[in-house]
Amino acid sequence: MKERVGVFEIGLVRGLIGMVLGVLIGLGLVSAIRALLGLPVWHAEAAWVVGGLFGTIGFMLAIGVMRDWIKWALGEETPDFPEADPRFQGWAKYLSVSYDHKVIGIQYGVTSLIVICIAGLFALIFRTELIAPGIQFLQPQDYNTIMTLHGIVMIGGMLLGVGAMSNYLVPLLIGANDMAFPRLNAFSFWINVPAVILLLGTLFMGGLETGWTGYPPLSARAPLGTQWFLLGVYFIGFSSIFGALNIIATVMKLRARGMTYFRMPIFVWTAAATALIALTATQLIGLSFQLVMFERLFGMAFFEPAKGGNPILFQHLFWFYSHPAVYVFVLTGLGVISELLPVFARKPLFGYRWVALSSFGIALVGFFVWAHHMFTSGMEPYLRVPFMYSTLLVAVPTGVKFFSWVATIWEGKLSFETPMLFVLGAISIFLLGGLSGPPNGVVATDLHLQDTYWIVGHFHATMFGGFLFPFLAAIYYWFPKMTGRMYNETLGKIHFYLMLPAFYVQSLGQLQVGLLGMRRRIADYDPALQIEFTHLLITVAGYVIALSLLIALINFAYSAVRGKVVTENVWRSRSPEWTLLPSPIPAHNYPTPIEVVGEPYDYGLAGAVYARTASAVPTRKEGEAALPSDAAAAPAD
Amino acid sequence: MFRNFGRSPVRVLIASNHALFRHGLVSLFKKRLGVRVEIVGEVTNLESAVAALEERNVDLVIVDYDDEQLNREDFLAHFVSGGGQKRVILLSLSNPESAMLYDRREVPLSQLEAWFEGWRESDTQSTSPSVERAGEKIQTRSNRMKHLIVASILVIVLTVLIVLGAGQVRLLPVAASAQAQPIDSLFRLMFLAIAFLFSLIVVFMLYSIVVFRRRKGDETDARHIEGNNTLEVTWTAIPLVVVLGLSFLGAQSLAQVERPDPKPLEVDVIGLQWTWRFEYPRYGIVSNELVLPVNKQAILYLSSQDVIHSFWVPEFRVKQDLLPGGEEFVRTLRITPTQIGSYKVRCAELCGIRHAYMESPVIVVSQADFDVWVAQQTGEPTDPVERGRKWANQYGCLSCHSLDGSKLVGPTWLGLFGSEVKLADGRTVIADEVLYYRVNSQSRCCHCRGLPEHHAGFVRPRPER
Repeated sequence: MKERVGVFEIGLVRGLIGMVLGVLIGLGLVSAIRALLGLPVWHAEAAWVVGGLFGTIGFMLAIGVMRDWIKWALGEETPDFPEADPRFQGWAKYLSVSYDHKVIGIQYGVTSLIVICIAGLFALIFRTELIAPGIQFLQPQDYNTIMTLHGIVMIGGMLLGVGAMSNYLVPLLIGANDMAFPRLNAFSFWINVPAVILLLGTLFMGGLETGWTGYPPLSARAPLGTQWFLLGVYFIGFSSIFGALNIIATVMKLRARGMTYFRMPIFVWTAAATALIALTATQLIGLSFQLVMFERLFGMAFFEPAKGGNPILFQHLFWFYSHPAVYVFVLTGLGVISELLPVFARKPLFGYRWVALSSFGIALVGFFVWAHHMFTSGMEPYLRVPFMYSTLLVAVPTGVKFFSWVATIWEGKLSFETPMLFVLGAISIFLLGGLSGPPNGVVATDLHLQDTYWIVGHFHATMFGGFLFPFLAAIYYWFPKMTGRMYNETLGKIHFYLMLPAFYVQSLGQLQVGLLGMRRRIADYDPALQIEFTHLLITVAGYVIALSLLIALINFAYSAVRGKVVTENVWRSRSPEWTLLPSPIPAHNYPTPIEVVGEPYDYGLAGAVYARTASAVPTRKEGEAALPSDAAAAPAD
Repeated sequence: MFRNFGRSPVRVLIASNHALFRHGLVSLFKKRLGVRVEIVGEVTNLESAVAALEERNVDLVIVDYDDEQLNREDFLAHFVSGGGQKRVILLSLSNPESAMLYDRREVPLSQLEAWFEGWRESDTQSTSPSVERAGEKIQTRSNRMKHLIVASILVIVLTVLIVLGAGQVRLLPVAASAQAQPIDSLFRLMFLAIAFLFSLIVVFMLYSIVVFRRRKGDETDARHIEGNNTLEVTWTAIPLVVVLGLSFLGAQSLAQVERPDPKPLEVDVIGLQWTWRFEYPRYGIVSNELVLPVNKQAILYLSSQDVIHSFWVPEFRVKQDLLPGGEEFVRTLRITPTQIGSYKVRCAELCGIRHAYMESPVIVVSQADFDVWVAQQTGEPTDPVERGRKWANQYGCLSCHSLDGSKLVGPTWLGLFGSEVKLADGRTVIADEVLYYRVNSQSRCCHCRGLPEHHAGFVRPRPER
């Protein structure tokens, strides 16, 4: 008999209460210490920073995600594999701590959609302001706050989306029963919740005015809200680092028998490349933001030139993460594109090894290009040309992906269900984003483009093409797997056919006004530039995109409850989560271990099998031993 | 691929040094697979296998996987990537339930049969004489060529259309400096390249979407093409050369942009929240607008008094950030205006609340007009109201304080003198000369962080009444 779960037993509720208590304790603690030291009791900066810190810790303690670790510290026994409270079913399960990677993946995904929608609403607000020159309704200070929040909250939302895809998919695709570290996995997800609350809390703490890049010295003197902004990003960084660690361990250790690296589904390659970046680069943004925080709190002058600091140093530290971070969003999305194309083209992924290695190529080169964000910053001029060369090199592995995708669909037998539409749309938009890149990467032309709407257009195209469209494709594609029900195909198509053209209008408009002299991050623009009409178009397109996303959300919500029940392999995929598992997938995935005996994308090869249940075959030394040699000539077509 | 196949028996070649393996296979073949099999030969090494192949028209080669005297890799390499493609199976006695196929897939025996059957069916369907099949093959090949040619033509058509279309749209502001020339020619080259590459990918995609769509009811897969290393190397190498070339051009262009002229006009450009100040050390002029003579290079020494700003006149194309921190952080920018006219310098780095309005006039005049302007500027007005007005303009006071009562960041000056003002620490005082002096020398009243330094940099302007 199912017991009823009380409201105060639900994890999220407990967490939020814990957070409020934590903030209060933090505020009280700082004030008490100051009173003891004989200082004026109230010091807003210190109090709110410590409050935010304690609030986050309070949330994590109250929700219980660190329970087992605390028990270990106390020497108490815990089960080998952590289990969520079995009384939590349905909604309660998703609102509380769970260690099942599929539940965590969906938690990531839903949170991501919510956060992306909030950030999108911010964009609508300031797009409305920009509909004409002059101040319509948004004062510059509020404009700066909303614009900054749009950026940083959207980045949070995208990181959550990346987490959603890699958490849900990687264990399924490699035939594992869960992630390598389920407790760490739950921790990585839940720390995002207080972090996002901190970011949104800045709205009520004087706002922000720095843009998401938070350059000092401006960020060192900006309003109080900046502290929670820095703190929120800092905690999201924890999520990235732990999540990445988990993915790497999972991919290295938990693959099914026979799944050599070159037999992994292509998405796993990109997830691994992404994780490698997130694991090694995220520290740098954490560090740079922490230094600004300390500069404000303790008067340390890392970046304040008047006291011997150097503002350029911040930009180096910041971009050393924030450029590779772009590939964190994008590589995962590109993985989805490569993963889905063969299914809908009924043809093997063209040049699997090249596509797989190109992800690592992008990840590697991505570490050596950060200073292209700083061509006009006043850094040492001799750094500019070498960074131009390294930046443009990114085009090479990216080009391999594009050409391989086109070759995959060439002479295929294409069908155009919603996921495929979003994949094709993603390719065309990411192409626009990619091609608008070299003008920024070449120093001479970047002198004109830096800090203009061209940059805005460029990265929105890469983010929509490299993240948002593939993310939506993934949601549609795995929707039946997650829910056991089919989404509404008509609504899916309406969503696509509204969003794609609207995005093109928005993106091309941004690129054009940027060339003509529209600067980034301005609340008002000079009517003399004669760009009002384009701005109007961009705003209208933004509203259409919002409308299309609303349709998608309605579709997801309705179909999850009322959609047609489907259990079979809807897409006739060769992937093990479709061929070997029911929908939705029970806890711990594969009831018996599976093994891989073929190539992942052998569409069109009669009788070729990728994965099967291991018990069907007596043992034999598997994998590399069975292969003559991977180094030998690859089979011809 | 397999001649004389279909109703005729499968012609099998067995390669093994073990007699038992060979004999066992022959009987197994007849019994289990039920296929009409003709064993055309049993060989024990690669050379004799090749010889047998040439003589005996073989469909299928079965290799003893456990036989270490046979070089398995040689076998695979020869039959798979060599001239005549054959179906090759590697069988192992130590694992009787599965087999290796020629493409290194391992399949269980049940699937081996399916694979075998699929192979038979595909060949039974086309039992036509070999001549006709060869003709079909040529036709598919020419079909494939046709697709490629049509798509390539469409790529060129779309490129031309995009270039023509882009010609109808305003893309860049007037080019008003010598530095804009190399930058704009690079822009033109890039726009052309972008149009071509966009068309290349998009046309091949759209063509596939239209031509290679799945017909209704067709549940079969497409042709099994795994890849092509030659193509991959090509589309790695060509972009590599292109981007290296582009970088080279970019570096050359940058060198042209930064080329110094002898004896440029020196101007100190100071950015502060949220205005610009231009100082001409040679003439002792301080101005709130940048006046430059045409066709003479100006070297701007850029610095900031508070946060980072960025100097950008879109018509001049070039941009440079202004850093706070004194001499060590002064950056330079060279501009040679080539067109007389009025432009605006627009701060391009977010610098706080009124960032959008941090714009000042940039006026390019003839050398003669410039000389007149210099003469006008160097005289100091004697009337204190005039002087106040001039200072308020020069020092950027008016970016925060209005004269007409409208609210900006600082208090409006309309009716301020003699009125009561509330200070940040709660005190209320009369705004008199003493307060004015204090504000300008040690400012404490401001509600905005960073403003004390801000005011401290000013000399003491006397506001008009």
